Amino acid sequence: MRTQALLATAVALIAALELPAQRGRRGGRSEAGGPPATTPTAAPADTAPKKASRYVAVVGGDVYLGTGQRITGGTVLIGDDKIEAVGLNLTLPEGTEIIDAKGKCVSPGFVCVLGNGMGAPRTGPFADGVNPFDPEIKQGLAAGITSFFAGSTSGSGPTPGGNNAVIKLAYGNLEGMVLRENAVVGLSVPLSLADREKFQELVKKAREYIKAVEEFPAKKAADNNLKEPPMPPGADKIVAVMRGEARLWISLGGGFNPFGLRRGGAARSNDVDQIRAALEVAQWLGEGVVLQKPMSAWMLPEAIAATGSMVFLCPRDHVPADPADPDHTGSNIASAALLAAAGVPVAVTCPSGPYAGAGVGTGGLLGQDLNTPNVDAAYAVRGGLDNRKALRTLTLDAARMLGVDARIGSLEPHKDADLLILDGDPLHYATFVETAIVNGKVVYEKAKEPLYQHIQRRNQ
Amino acid sequence: MSKQLLLVAAAAGLAAAASAQDPAPAPTPAPATAAPAAAATTPPPIQFETWHPNRPAKEADYQVAKWGPRDLPSPGYAFRAAKVLPITAPPIIDGVVVTKNGRIEAIGPAKDVVVPAGYERVDCGDAVIVPGFVEAHCHIASETFDLNDTVHPTNPEFRTLDLISMEHDQIRMARAGGISTTLYIPGSGSNMGGFGTLTKTWAKSPDEALVRFPGSLKIAQAGNPERGSGDLGTDMMGMSEGLRMTLLDGKRYHERVAAWQAGKGEKPAFDATLDLLRGLFLHEYPVSVHTQIYQVVLQTLQELRLELGLWTVVVHGTFDGYRLSGDLGPAGVPVAGGPRQYYHDRATNRMHGLLGNWSLGGQHGWRDAVPGLGRDGVGVNTDSPVIAQEQLPLQAAMGVRMGWPHEWALRGLTINPARFLGIDHRVGSLEVGKDADLGIWSGDPIDPRSYVEQMVINGTICYRRDAKRPRW
Repeated sequence: MRTQALLATAVALIAALELPAQRGRRGGRSEAGGPPATTPTAAPADTAPKKASRYVAVVGGDVYLGTGQRITGGTVLIGDDKIEAVGLNLTLPEGTEIIDAKGKCVSPGFVCVLGNGMGAPRTGPFADGVNPFDPEIKQGLAAGITSFFAGSTSGSGPTPGGNNAVIKLAYGNLEGMVLRENAVVGLSVPLSLADREKFQELVKKAREYIKAVEEFPAKKAADNNLKEPPMPPGADKIVAVMRGEARLWISLGGGFNPFGLRRGGAARSNDVDQIRAALEVAQWLGEGVVLQKPMSAWMLPEAIAATGSMVFLCPRDHVPADPADPDHTGSNIASAALLAAAGVPVAVTCPSGPYAGAGVGTGGLLGQDLNTPNVDAAYAVRGGLDNRKALRTLTLDAARMLGVDARIGSLEPHKDADLLILDGDPLHYATFVETAIVNGKVVYEKAKEPLYQHIQRRNQ
Repeated sequence: MSKQLLLVAAAAGLAAAASAQDPAPAPTPAPATAAPAAAATTPPPIQFETWHPNRPAKEADYQVAKWGPRDLPSPGYAFRAAKVLPITAPPIIDGVVVTKNGRIEAIGPAKDVVVPAGYERVDCGDAVIVPGFVEAHCHIASETFDLNDTVHPTNPEFRTLDLISMEHDQIRMARAGGISTTLYIPGSGSNMGGFGTLTKTWAKSPDEALVRFPGSLKIAQAGNPERGSGDLGTDMMGMSEGLRMTLLDGKRYHERVAAWQAGKGEKPAFDATLDLLRGLFLHEYPVSVHTQIYQVVLQTLQELRLELGLWTVVVHGTFDGYRLSGDLGPAGVPVAGGPRQYYHDRATNRMHGLLGNWSLGGQHGWRDAVPGLGRDGVGVNTDSPVIAQEQLPLQAAMGVRMGWPHEWALRGLTINPARFLGIDHRVGSLEVGKDADLGIWSGDPIDPRSYVEQMVINGTICYRRDAKRPRW
């Protein structure tokens, strides 16, 4: 009974805090109809909600919901591995274990749209390859990462492909580590003229297949001998994207290479044509796509928004403008701000290149890798993104790119209990993770792990 | 300028006692002391002096090095901002910096500073004004990238002076990132890459941008130059021998020239390859040494500083090199740290912040705790383009994250590298008579969320941030 009342409180609270326009259809299929496994199941009205076997409450911190909102002095109530409620002055079930977060900040765990290592194998099946005792997991948790995207997104020609998974840093818990496999498929643009045609053909077949499957039960009732419609060859990934079960990530021809650029050669200063080609794919599918590290997306935010597409980028990746055409070429540190202003979800990732990369290995250079994911959100702020909303680039909007926003990315009831207790503003460069909780379990405590326990915060 | 103005400036805090500026950072345990529960006190700053004996007292006394021009015409400005950080004096709340003809004419609280008639008043609002940053290890002052000509194992005949250009993208990014002075040096492809140039990041021409040439001789002790292995003698002993022989050639040449100048002996035939090496033995400029790990920093200390007596600056001192801070400190060898800012000690599973450890001391592995180089012995560098030049302050931020006091980090971006390189009479702090190089920032310059609103170099506003299309 008490829990029921509590849930009602939580729902009311979240309703009161309802999100800005971005929380619409755009890129948000999983809310409407993701696969059952990843959709939070609200308690049906006629049955009593299942009582958790263990309650933990993180009490008194400044709670950043990950949606852009913040509750000062709030409480996050965790029941087993899910968030039960978030709010002010919650009534806590008897026997709730209290974690005091007064004077601290509480944030959803960071979601990295690109990553490697941290217990994940290079290729799938990921459920068989993860190592829940990889020491890098602790380092990732110390950096605030609770989930990341591992694996490949390389398609071939017109057929989207990839072998990847969303990995959770559930240290010591094998079963809790793989959130979803192959949630993302990849495609490279521009497609050749032949592949363009083939891709459109596959989309057509996929659409017919989806329709046939929808109509199948009714037709089966009329004709019991009718066989289930077969999946058209090569269309399975496209079907998954059109059903909102997978996200389509588009890579835009030749990668960004700061060294190539600095040698005055390889790097492009303008990828508008590729972005338009990607948006064309989105239109064919009737489904937004994810643009990977575009340089020039800031030049056409409205066009991107119109297709429901999303963007992840590294705000500090820099490509000079062509002096002959400065308004239509080159990168822009304001990219994230300009895109977000148009309603495009934006996530951030760290630089790539020979001395950077999306890992926590100590062979790289601090500030250029995943040991400080908040630095890239900070650079988005430098470019004009609202300081309080910028956390979305590491939380809810990042989860949306992976199609797992129903599970992770914000502190809302029924979502996975993946959260951080931080010693300061999440986007401040000197902020450390004091406690990381994944799937409701404390998996990292700065004071108890050797990694950073000897470092005391220097600057507020 | 009016006497009154200068007097006001002097009264405004420039003459403040050095002790009053001491940062007294928040008490914290020394990073990486053996016991995590060690007493929560920061060791008092260690006295540190860069070692350059008999350095010429005035620019005019330099024989080999050439100094760039000063007092180039620039408009009269009075920049007023919520906070002015002169670095070598306490912060000024609601401060004004008056500049003209390339120099700072006055600095102090707005209520005290009299702005001369005809000077343009620039209201910078809530901004923070800091000195332009000084980069001690830069490879991007020209449009070319590859500065690794390796004609010989040692190449004292090379110099970067002729390559500098002022209007390419990377140097624009540098000034948009608040960096006004760089030591532009050859790469580490050979043990002696050539002579670097100290240059401003903006001027009407490379000649006007010049601060000093040579800025330093670039030496790479190890950790790159050994790539050409084989019979060239490019393992540790061979590399040390090559450096020693070339430097001794230079020393002998210097001694012959000095003897001739003193009226003893004949004038030696001019040797273009060795001529600039003379300046090293006149202590006009340092060797800036690419040296990283414990073993190699030890070689740098032994060979270059103790054996050959050179003014030695360790640049991009990373990995576990900080374990030698107790030896480098007394020898007056400073360190510009970066771009690598941390080191994972597998023996203890601890992450070490290198700038903090260089400054405050530290310990890992087998070695006893070392005392550190203190507040004044450590600077920051990027090794641009390894880290993009504009991300120099991020290097400092990562240092602070890992335990370096914030106020020390600001010094590490400004006055410390200026002192290491012997240009602190021109740049590195906001003081009357110094170059008018001001970074006008939207907030704490070390926070990546802050940006440069305006950049002033040699008294000229050379960058204004465009909110719609900010460069950086």
